[in-house]
Amino acid sequence: MQANLNLWLRSAYSRAWVRVKSTYGEPVWLAVNLAVPLLSSLAMALLYQSTGLSKYTGFAIVGGIMLAFWGNVLWSMASQFNWDKEVGIFEIYLISPAPISALLVGMSLGGILATAPSAALVALIGWAFFSTSISPSWLAVFLTFILTLASLYAMGMLLSSLYLAYGREAESLNNAIGEPINFLSGIYFPSIGTGSPFPFALQIAASLIPLTIGMDALRKSVFYADGISAIWLNLLILAAMSAILLFLGDKALKVLENRGRREGTLVVRLR
Amino acid sequence: MRLHKAIFAAAWMGWQREMEWTNPALSLFIKTVAPTAAVLGAAAVYWFGSSFAGLFTPDRLAYIVVGASLYAQVGAYAYVPTAAISEGKWSNLYPQVYITPTSSIPYLAGRCLASFADSAPVVAISLAVSYYASYALFGSPPTILLTVNSVLMTTAALVVSLPAALGLGYILGSYSIFVSRFEWALPSYVSGLLMIFSEALFPASILPYPLPLIAQALPFTYLMRASRAALIYDSWSTFTTSMGYLALGGLILLIIGIVAFNQAERSARDKGLIDKKVM
Repeated sequence: MQANLNLWLRSAYSRAWVRVKSTYGEPVWLAVNLAVPLLSSLAMALLYQSTGLSKYTGFAIVGGIMLAFWGNVLWSMASQFNWDKEVGIFEIYLISPAPISALLVGMSLGGILATAPSAALVALIGWAFFSTSISPSWLAVFLTFILTLASLYAMGMLLSSLYLAYGREAESLNNAIGEPINFLSGIYFPSIGTGSPFPFALQIAASLIPLTIGMDALRKSVFYADGISAIWLNLLILAAMSAILLFLGDKALKVLENRGRREGTLVVRLR
Repeated sequence: MRLHKAIFAAAWMGWQREMEWTNPALSLFIKTVAPTAAVLGAAAVYWFGSSFAGLFTPDRLAYIVVGASLYAQVGAYAYVPTAAISEGKWSNLYPQVYITPTSSIPYLAGRCLASFADSAPVVAISLAVSYYASYALFGSPPTILLTVNSVLMTTAALVVSLPAALGLGYILGSYSIFVSRFEWALPSYVSGLLMIFSEALFPASILPYPLPLIAQALPFTYLMRASRAALIYDSWSTFTTSMGYLALGGLILLIIGIVAFNQAERSARDKGLIDKKVM
């Protein structure tokens, strides 16, 4: 038991280390990761400003920060195993004693650390441009942020497992689901509760996405000083989503790994 | 004649690559979902802010819906040439195209034409879906004039924007020849900057001076203006003026692009980079 735990932790650490090292060792990554979240949040902030609604520019900046992490989940978690399969690393994972779940958790932690500078730059540049006023309840902001990331990356693990079953469709799927999830989860505007343009049924559907719950709680805690007592339900849902998605991701991975072994398609490459 | 054949072959290949990797209907659906969601996202941002401030107008909603829909077309032009070169280097196709008698200029032209052909329906579909979704979500449809004339005028604007698209394609293609890593970085920035500077979502006049001058110099800004003149304002004079600037700007960008691409290829050949693999 002790040996297994030790192996799991070491595997997770080493996968996280590779991701952190590859990003911080190549600073160009920072510029690459910054492009989409920074420019799209600036565009949305300018859209708010152009309609005389400068007080909401902060919504766009917070959206840009979370978009950096969501982009990382989509492109560096969900489709990672697919790319690992293409270049032959996935085979090495399979024959090594390292538990796949540990690799996924390590990849998540490494991804969060690697994306943090880009997200911080979006915040700094956004606030420098628009001088948005905030009224944060820091403990609530911190808890919301941590739980949103936990649930997002748990969703990334689940998607990563599902994408193992796909080939190059994974890339097209990523392209297809990215924007609809941005839209439904209200990255730049409230998609649930007060101010949402969505009918109730659509709000319920949007609430199944962890980013929706996280963005709602972040806006409340960053701009309206809502403390834990005001957003406890969001925090509870995010914690539950993290646990459920982590469990589903692990199960899906095992099922698809077994199916792939049986059918001999686990390490089939496309090209 | 040989040039036409080369362009057609490249366009056919581009179409196969973009649309025929699965059922074309499914492929079109997948290509349409993201831009439509992006259009609705921008419209929702406007609706949310303006409703609270009591400043909502269907005209302004139409301005955003038309601009954001067309941006899908403009944004696609930033990625296609990069994909053509970087994937071509990875699969060894680009060096082979390079040594053919017509070489790579018609190849990139064909790939951009294919991108035009597959993203034009995406613009039409996302515009139509956004129109009805805006009505359902915001209770007010954008004031878009859907007449035979307005559709023909918008189609003409899209066609006249082709030289500009090709010019941008050649400029980004010349960058792609030299990079073997992070090949998506520059197109991502170009695409994002076009969202800000091409008046896709808001007039450039809100940007601090001298940034609006960048917007004035971009042919894609005039694509937006010409299309809005046709689809929203029904203004023939704005349409013709914008079309003139679009054609002129596109021609200049095309010439700059071809010169840059030729020089880049010569330089890459001298440095032995034509067949350097993308990692």
